[in-house]
Formats: sequence, structure tokens, C-alpha cells
Amino acid sequence: MATGKRIFAAVAGWAALVTGAHLALNVDWSVALNDRQPLDKRKFYVAYIPVT
Amino acid sequence: MTDYIARHSLGENSFIPRKFQGFPEIKEALIGNRMQAGFMVAPMAMALRAQGVPIKIVYLGHRYGSAVVVQKDGPVRAVRDLAGRTVAIPSRFSDEYLIVRRALQREGAPAAAVRFLEMAPPDVAGALSAGAIDAFSMGEPFPSQSEMMGFGRILFPARRYWPDYMSCVLVVRQDAIDNRPAAVQTLVDGIARSGLWLDAGRPHREHAADFVGRYYFHQPPALLRWALTKDLERVIYTRLSPRKADFDLVRDLMLEAGTLDRPIEFAEYVDVRFAEGTVGKTAWQYEAGVN
Repeated sequence: MATGKRIFAAVAGWAALVTGAHLALNVDWSVALNDRQPLDKRKFYVAYIPVT
Repeated sequence: MTDYIARHSLGENSFIPRKFQGFPEIKEALIGNRMQAGFMVAPMAMALRAQGVPIKIVYLGHRYGSAVVVQKDGPVRAVRDLAGRTVAIPSRFSDEYLIVRRALQREGAPAAAVRFLEMAPPDVAGALSAGAIDAFSMGEPFPSQSEMMGFGRILFPARRYWPDYMSCVLVVRQDAIDNRPAAVQTLVDGIARSGLWLDAGRPHREHAADFVGRYYFHQPPALLRWALTKDLERVIYTRLSPRKADFDLVRDLMLEAGTLDRPIEFAEYVDVRFAEGTVGKTAWQYEAGVN
């Protein structure tokens, strides 16, 4: 494989890895999926603060 | 807590809990419909309703659980010594503010003699420790935090001057009540069942301190264990149905304090249907590590 292709594959692999990690660690999927539900099916968001 | 137990015993939950750092932010999120429900201090909920915000109180979060804390070896030894001092409160629209005023009144000291400072709950223990304030009036676990770390002393628990003291209430947007009453009932039932489970005894309190501290409050479980078990009456999670007499008292104290500009009727800001729907509910059947 040519050097240019190797570099491209490495960069693309790295970008895919970082994107995957970001999606796994930083995206709240419960919220993202809930917001796509029809209104009458959505779960309520309930606010609280860390006090009794 | 309801969220955790429901996930572990039913495999799902009907709502998504979101943590905030202060009551004003919860107020804004409810007004903007980013939250459909939330826990907030009762006077704030009543003031919002009086201003026309379409919300209703449907249940209480707990009873007792607040205290006035002073520096352990400081000069404040009695309620009257608070005169001329700075006392931190979560908001002027809070029961924690009203309880200080009520205690001062009972002890014959004018509330005007105290400087009240609004502060986010997580900041008060540090402020007391640094000497930036002389006292704070706040819900648990911040009184426990001050005791546990050795710099604070409880001057009085709220229930000394207000026997059926309540603070946080569950507020739901009116459109959610109108369009999704079954979902509201599920939420209220879950909280009622959690309360029964928590008040069943010390082992449940200790389990709750562990998972609530780790996964929800992000506070040391040892701190919550202190708050929930020293003693079990420091905060209770039963008798959570909204009662007119309790709210009439809050309303009258708010009118006296000038934080409510008109008398507001109980039925205007409370919907008791969901609390009535919890009658006969039983505690969650949940044991940590088993389910």
C-alpha cells in the first residue's frame, strides 16, 4: 500500500475511533431517543437538585 | 431513587431524571417546557402559580429534612443570637427562609435584624466553613455535611418550630396533567412507593445512600448515610399527600414575608387527585444486589 493510502487509512481509523468514543461517552441516548418519540409516548423529564 | 429502583426491579422507567444545581434553573426549565415535572421548594411553586405559570403541586418530596446550621464554636448559641448575622438561604421563595423568620418571631427577635443571603445549596457548607456566612438554613445533606466535617452545629431542625415541616414538592406542568394523567399518576405512585420503601427501616436508608450518592447526587455515600440515618426522623418520606392546612401556613408566612402578593387558594395550585390515587400502594419490593 502506498504511503499516502496508509496515512489516509490511519487518519480515517482514528477519526472513526474518536467519533465512536464521543457518541458513546458524551451523547445522552435516553434523551436523544426520547425526543424523537411522538409527544404522547415521550417520557417526562423530571428536574431535581441534590438536596433531600 | 424511584428511577433507580424502577430500572432495577421493572427493567424500565416512565421518566428521565435531570439534575440541576439550583431552584431558579428548575423554574426556568419548567416554564420553557424543557422539564415536564420537577422538585422545587413549595413557596416558589406557589408564587409561580400566583403569577400565572401553568403548573400544579401534586405531591411532596419529603417532610422535615431542613435545619439551621451555625459555626460549631461560633458566637451563635441561640436563635436570638442570629440578630445582626448573615444567614444563607436557597431562595426567598423557600421554606428554609420562612422557617428562620418563624423561629425569630417565636423567640421575639425581628426578622429584619438578620441579613439573608441567597446561595446555591451546594455552596453553603463551604461558605460556613470559610466564615463567609454565620449560618445557613438548608435541606439535607448540607447540614449533615457541616456536622460530619466538624465545623457546623445544628442550631435547630426545622420541625422544632414547624412540626409538620415540608420543603420540596413535586410540581407538574398543567398540559402534562391534562394530556398525560396516567403518566403523572405513575410518577407519583413511584415516589409514594419509594417513600414507603425508604421509611421501612435503616437497611433501606443505607442502600439508598449508596446508589443515590453514586448515581444521582454525585455525593459521598457516607454523607448521605449520615443524613438518612442519624436519626431516621431527620427526614421522612411518608405522609406526602399535600394537605391544605400545611399550604395555608406556607401561604400566610409568605404573605407576611412579602413574597406572595395575593392570597391564593389551595385548589388553585394543588391537584390532589394523584396523591389520592396512591392510597393502598405498597413499598417497592426491592433489595439491593438481589433485583
